[in-house]
Amino acid sequence: MISIKNVTKKFPTVTALDNISLDIKEKEFFGLLGPNGAGKSTLMNLIIGYLDADEGELTVAGEKVTRNNLESRKKIGLVPQSIALYDDISAQENLEIFGSFFGIKKNLLRAVIAENLNRVELYDRRKDKVKGFSGGMKRRLNIAASLLHDPEILLCDEPTVGVDPQSRNAIFDYLEKLNEEGKTIIYTTHYMEEAERLCSRIAIIDHGKIIGAGSLDELLLLLPYEQTILISKNQLTEHKKDLFGKFGTILNDQEKYELKPFEKLKLSDFFKAMEENGIGYNFIDVNKPSLEALFLHLTGRRLRD
Amino acid sequence: MKTILQLIKKDYILFWHDKPAVSLTFVVPIFLIFLFGSIFSGVSSGPTGIDIAFMNNSDSKIAKKLESVLDTTQAFHLVREFRDDNGNMVSFDTNSIKDFVRKGNAVAALVIPKDAFTDTSMGLKLKFFYDPKNDMEMQMIEGVLTQRVMTQMPSLFMTGMQHKAETYLGTDKGKNFNKKIAETVGKYFNVDTAKILHWSSYDFADSSNIDSASSKSNFFSDLLQLDKEQLVGKEVNNPNATRSVGGWAMMFLLFTLTATSTSLFDENKSGVVLRILSAPVSRVHILWGKYLYNFSLGCIQLLVMFFVGYLLFRIDIFSHFFNLLLVIIAGALACTAFGMLLAAVSKTSAQANGLGTLLILTMSGIGGAWFPTFILPPFIQILSKFSLVYWAMEGFMNVLWRGSNTLEILPNVGVLIGIAAVVNIFSIIRFKKGNLF
Repeated sequence: MISIKNVTKKFPTVTALDNISLDIKEKEFFGLLGPNGAGKSTLMNLIIGYLDADEGELTVAGEKVTRNNLESRKKIGLVPQSIALYDDISAQENLEIFGSFFGIKKNLLRAVIAENLNRVELYDRRKDKVKGFSGGMKRRLNIAASLLHDPEILLCDEPTVGVDPQSRNAIFDYLEKLNEEGKTIIYTTHYMEEAERLCSRIAIIDHGKIIGAGSLDELLLLLPYEQTILISKNQLTEHKKDLFGKFGTILNDQEKYELKPFEKLKLSDFFKAMEENGIGYNFIDVNKPSLEALFLHLTGRRLRD
Repeated sequence: MKTILQLIKKDYILFWHDKPAVSLTFVVPIFLIFLFGSIFSGVSSGPTGIDIAFMNNSDSKIAKKLESVLDTTQAFHLVREFRDDNGNMVSFDTNSIKDFVRKGNAVAALVIPKDAFTDTSMGLKLKFFYDPKNDMEMQMIEGVLTQRVMTQMPSLFMTGMQHKAETYLGTDKGKNFNKKIAETVGKYFNVDTAKILHWSSYDFADSSNIDSASSKSNFFSDLLQLDKEQLVGKEVNNPNATRSVGGWAMMFLLFTLTATSTSLFDENKSGVVLRILSAPVSRVHILWGKYLYNFSLGCIQLLVMFFVGYLLFRIDIFSHFFNLLLVIIAGALACTAFGMLLAAVSKTSAQANGLGTLLILTMSGIGGAWFPTFILPPFIQILSKFSLVYWAMEGFMNVLWRGSNTLEILPNVGVLIGIAAVVNIFSIIRFKKGNLF
């Protein structure tokens, strides 16, 4: 569906994308995971034809993408990272404006708008000015505005930034439904949880290079270990970081302690030590490693650094 | 073209919902046009009703004549009495009249002293009392007073000169001297000697010979016949309001179009431009859409302003409507180009608006939007010709004031379109090189 071959994009002070190649299949939910400034948004801007690549070639459904080729854009809907809506007019008027650029006839456009507003549960607020909407409502409308021309491909550039967990879940459900209905979705994020939940395939991007691509399971095979130990972070465990360090390398200490066990560690020795220190089993979990661990392994940095 | 029309429609929808922008585009300029039009439409007739405390202590008929002249002078309102502590209306004396001015009850006081016109005087002695804070008003009063005396009482000075001659030479010799002078002046200036002698026979004991205020057969009138004929604008109902309407309309048009052009920065920052460009819309579409929207809004704004001028001040916009329309179109094109230039050379919206305000005020000031350019220093008059406001104002004045035909306004229209073309080419180059979007 989307073919990216040896694409390089340079800006005056930085190489945003460095010889990237990717193939995204039809109806895939494809994740682009990487820290801020990795090159995710630049890649999105190349796919919609907002920018031209300095080298390499991009095609969407066989159509070469360039700044001057407007045809390929009809197949794509873009959900920009920012809330790209006019605040001082109503939700309905926003959609009428954005829908009009795709040449949809007035009557049809009205029906399409009503349908999309219903789907994002904003139909009852259609006549309200956008500036009165909550962050979650604006994000939903931001998505609806990208779907008016029924695109085959939906590019979502970090569409949940600044959204509360409830609205985030609603957006996830909606995107999953769109994917089930047959839309190809490319989703950029720097939240590994989002990529893990939504994406059937993920490409990890850093400093303009793809450092890993595949399904979650395929990516985790890149790690030299198969399990991590997760210890809940609370008053009891917070001062035991040195103790955990005797059994493995601490990969992550943000929300939980994620421990990569030393090669010859016996789990029974670990659990015994924990018990002696008053840390019950209920605080400990042995699990598959996370994308965060993978990113750390591949780059030596954390995703959110 | 359909895409561009959609972009224009989008901008009109946004504009209509932006009430402050609508107000700045139409309501504020209409208010200022009304205000300044009303002020300047009264300028030609000079000031009116300035309160002046007045006291005439002279018995001379000339003084009485002066008093009646001042009474009929529209510029002044003579106050002859004041209310004392007991609430009674009392005539002024020397002290009370000074107090009256000191307390700010009148701009100045004018006193005709007892010896205002004596046997030895050449002219009229008057006394002014004024507060220095009213210096400007004082100069205005002096100007009006001098003008009234010179135009309404020229005989005063002639009489003075004749009387002086008789005082120095004696009555007989003096009368003879005046007669000889009258004959000589009559011969060389082709003036009726009898008329001149009429002044020579003037008797100070009886001032009834003093010329009436409206007489046109006096000596000075014959010597200096100033035939005034207004060559242009005779039929213009309200010439000063015409300038005000054109000037304020142009200035606010520039402000409006600067704001709408620089909205590109805000749209880019919010991601809307990226969203629009993710549709089958090119950057060229966006620029054309913005340009044509600004141009059409500019034409509408100018038309509305002149229509308001017609309603408020009866400015005749319909006699030469086609020519007015040509200047409006050319002016709107040039102003639109100016707005786009600001967007092209600036890096942020704030920068563009700051630069725009500076340039608009400068261009309006030197271009004749606020006042006629002839009152400016010569080098600024040269500079003003580099301002698009100057050419637009000249165009408007040519159409509405001089009633110029299409051929005659072509230079103005041509220069405005030329400015638009040059500025647009420069802007396009800047847009291509820049990174606005």
